[in-house]
Amino acid sequence: MFALRLTGIVALTLFVVFSGAIPLTARADEPLLERDILPILTKNCMGCHGGLVSSGGLDLRTLPAMLVGGESGTAVTSGQSEKSELWKRIANDEMPEGDGREKLSALDKAAIKKWIDAGLPTVSQRQQNVDSLVAGDEQHKVPEVAAAIDQHIGQFLKAADIQPAPLTDDEEFLRRIYLDLAGRVPTAEQAVAFLDDTAPDRRTKLIDSLLETPEFGEQFGRTWRDWVCPPELPSTGNAGTQPHQQARAFGSWIGKKVVAGEPWDQVTREILTVQGEIGKNPQVIFFALVGKDGTTTADGSARAVASLFMGVQLQCARCHDDPYRDWSQQEHWGLAAFFGRSQGDFSKVEINKGPSKKPGEIGIPGSAFRNVGSVVKASFLRGDRFEAKDSQDLRQPFADWLTAKENPYFARAFVNRVWFSLFSRGIVNPIDDFRELNPPSHPGLLKLLAGEFTASGYDVKHLIRCICNSQAYQRASRVAPDIDDQQRTVLTTAFGRMPMRLMTADRLYDSLKLAFGDPKLDLRTSVAHASVGMAAPVGDALLEFHRRFGTNEEDATDFTHGIAQMLTMINHPRLLRGGQSLEDFRKKSPDASAEQTIEWLYLSTLSRHPTKEELAEAAEYVSQSADPTAAFNGVLWMLVNRSEFLLVR
Amino acid sequence: MRDSHPTLKRRDWLKLSAAGLLSGVTVPWFESLAAAAIKRPRGKSCILLWMDGGPSQQHTFDPKTHGEFAPKPTSVPGIHIVEHLPQLAQSMDDLAIVRSMTTEINGHYDAKYFLHTGHKRTTAFEHPAIGCIASSQVGLPDDDMPAFVTIDAGFDRPDGGRLYRSVPAYLGPEHAPLAVNDPADGLENLTPTGDDIDARLKLLAGSERRFAQKFTLPAVGAKQAAFHRAVRLMRSKRSRAFRLDEEPASLRAEYGSHKFGQSCLLARRLVEAGVSFVEIVHRGWDDHGGAAKPIAYRAPWMDAGMAALIRDLKIRGMLDDTLIVWMGEFGRTPGDGNGHFSKAWSTVWAGGGIQTGQVIGKTTEGPKSPGADIVDRPVTAPDFIGTLCLALGIDIHQEFLTPAKRPVPLVDKAAKPVQELLG
Repeated sequence: MFALRLTGIVALTLFVVFSGAIPLTARADEPLLERDILPILTKNCMGCHGGLVSSGGLDLRTLPAMLVGGESGTAVTSGQSEKSELWKRIANDEMPEGDGREKLSALDKAAIKKWIDAGLPTVSQRQQNVDSLVAGDEQHKVPEVAAAIDQHIGQFLKAADIQPAPLTDDEEFLRRIYLDLAGRVPTAEQAVAFLDDTAPDRRTKLIDSLLETPEFGEQFGRTWRDWVCPPELPSTGNAGTQPHQQARAFGSWIGKKVVAGEPWDQVTREILTVQGEIGKNPQVIFFALVGKDGTTTADGSARAVASLFMGVQLQCARCHDDPYRDWSQQEHWGLAAFFGRSQGDFSKVEINKGPSKKPGEIGIPGSAFRNVGSVVKASFLRGDRFEAKDSQDLRQPFADWLTAKENPYFARAFVNRVWFSLFSRGIVNPIDDFRELNPPSHPGLLKLLAGEFTASGYDVKHLIRCICNSQAYQRASRVAPDIDDQQRTVLTTAFGRMPMRLMTADRLYDSLKLAFGDPKLDLRTSVAHASVGMAAPVGDALLEFHRRFGTNEEDATDFTHGIAQMLTMINHPRLLRGGQSLEDFRKKSPDASAEQTIEWLYLSTLSRHPTKEELAEAAEYVSQSADPTAAFNGVLWMLVNRSEFLLVR
Repeated sequence: MRDSHPTLKRRDWLKLSAAGLLSGVTVPWFESLAAAAIKRPRGKSCILLWMDGGPSQQHTFDPKTHGEFAPKPTSVPGIHIVEHLPQLAQSMDDLAIVRSMTTEINGHYDAKYFLHTGHKRTTAFEHPAIGCIASSQVGLPDDDMPAFVTIDAGFDRPDGGRLYRSVPAYLGPEHAPLAVNDPADGLENLTPTGDDIDARLKLLAGSERRFAQKFTLPAVGAKQAAFHRAVRLMRSKRSRAFRLDEEPASLRAEYGSHKFGQSCLLARRLVEAGVSFVEIVHRGWDDHGGAAKPIAYRAPWMDAGMAALIRDLKIRGMLDDTLIVWMGEFGRTPGDGNGHFSKAWSTVWAGGGIQTGQVIGKTTEGPKSPGADIVDRPVTAPDFIGTLCLALGIDIHQEFLTPAKRPVPLVDKAAKPVQELLG
């Protein structure tokens, strides 16, 4: 109870702070980079000066990168717009380049000039305390960490003078937390249990209980599975077999470990040092999934490990020094050398085999453009060279280095991924692109989370518990109707609201299974094709559902479905036919009125009670039908076809 | 440079759906377009005949004097194809054969990707397939019908590597293909099985309108727009184009009873109804163990389907506006066609206003391993895609932005389109 009171006090403090804030639309103060300038630059300039392509060597995504500038020198000179290349070229409409391009509006130009003349103010500078708030080597109580998260975000919002969205109501929170932690909507009974609970700590209790379910493990594991490999998995040579079952088993394996409380460093170590047959070690599949054509590659391993466990992108450095990321080709192959003495495929990993002729050394292969044939020695990223001993499994010392408390990459990469999975946006974006010129939006928050994660002994559930108990996680997605695209983006990137997301294929599938009471829900129409040889165009029910309802992994707010998906939802015979769970409910509650049945349907799909209007509409529809079973199934059909069902508020 | 995800469009949709147009019951069904022939203001349409696995050029369109299949004269003096394709031989005036494809990649999947996109596969991001490109560039905007449909014409051996799936990548999900899994069945989930759909849609409409008013967000607008398009297609009389049983039995017989021929007929119906790009995939051309026997078996139905398609389009006055391309991901080793061969192989073109009755490029003649090399006019995968785009009226010098804001040229800048085909 003490914990809860503490959260309450912090909430009150924050409320007082925010109530003094000026509404987003009317603002007379100086422009701020994150709030006022980056949206203009993103819209007009980032296509050519935004990272992967940086025309003239210029990257405008962050202030450090602007100050470094491009071939014409620094882009901005603090306080002196007339000396700033950025301003000069925008002012005379030289940029955005090209006759067909829309030039900047007078208002946007004025904002940029004012911002440079004001001394390049940023929200981060305005924040008084960007340190971690709860420092130290030991783990803290969940409410303390949650409050510190909110303090960081609150300071950012205050410095930017942005009013955050209100907190979710219980119905919104219920559906969000089930989808995020259990990977599906709650059952009607689970929904009622929570919505009827009046205990002040009901949200905390629900988070705690969900984190102990196997479903949380599955959800966590499949999130990682999707990060490890693309939806269309690699296949062995020409035979075309894609290891979907094995990839799923790998996800489940991760999930089970995490539910059981195994620390993340240990899970990571078990993945990175795996050897033997896949039967006993589902994680064997990892190296082949990130390799090529079903076999492991040292450079594929290095790139995947860097992206997944270190938060750095090495893909460009495979073939040349990466001009935008500071990584050299040497560093890439130095990391690859740790994986050069193990080799395998979809079914096994063996050590003391592989591309390295000598342990700890690897030759740059002919498929890289530069320095082909030169031999690179194993070295840690930004670290010391590693002297390998003979017949040693070099992945062991690499895992030691990676998971050590003082490793600068490991914890921050993980917390950023977890944050991304809950907010659809990382503290650093893209989530695997940590580097000096791409700083975090909330540096103190990142430090706080990474510090807490390390201090807790890499306790995954503790981290998620802390984040989900924060007000930031529990904010609503709804925005005021007069807010424009730019303001909404700023509010979302400041974590002042939760974006509205499209359900991932996994979550949609599990939610439909539940709503229809059909654990083997099969929306394929051409099952006959399933057995057709290696080039079979149709996979099992889950795979085909994934292929059809796959979503944009990088941007969960992107509604990616089109005619094919909508036609499936509208007309698939299985969905038109209706639900077994509805039948069960009506058998169990033979006296239930039409209204009660409709209410139950709302709870088992949208996780909320219907409004009076909705109840009346549905009751009217049911009363007009001669066949109540068909009519209730019609209500169920209507509910799963709603925007509110496919989208997560 | 164009950003491929204009938000404005979605907002327009949002307004549209907020105005109550998504209900499906209150919408007029745009039938005025259905009766008249479809005008294509933006470019031409295309039917791609994809022989998955890699068909042997020497057993089809580039026979050699002492090869397993003998060269036979066609309706164009001096041009020979194999004797197993008599109907196509008679249509040679309407065909152009490119015998000098040279495309580097000998692995099925990577080659399929290369020939569908004009770009080599990378791990960094995906390229849009040619059908998706056509959808975005020449598809009829805001039409009842989808712009890109794929038809599975079945298989005759379970090989040929992983099936390539056309992805729109940065062009946006609205350019993904609609898949027909069996030409006889038409488009799956197009027709509701119950009779209650109007009442259900009506019940849905009110709550959708309220939700869109409460949540003025792009995702909501996009959902309701996609839903609306699906209902429109479902309601449109033009969606009858997916039903082969409306064709007279005599014409169905002319296309041949094989799934491939029926797919060709379905493709013609779809193009007629406004679809811009149809890809027919027939699987199983990976003839390890020799191409002679299996192709002798396949040739009659392939010959019938493709030749009937050309004749039918011509009779209907549609051939000049409909490009047909026959191909696989590569050819096969000279001689028996046992192995994969990307060095010198053939594609066949018809319609779409291209210059037909000709052969472009040439492979080596005997006596030693004839066909092992190109002697004239090599055509690379980017050249190929560039030519296909130009034939459809697509600007090949455009650049697009990937989601990571990386500019990518639609067609590789090194592409040298085959002007001899374009005339």
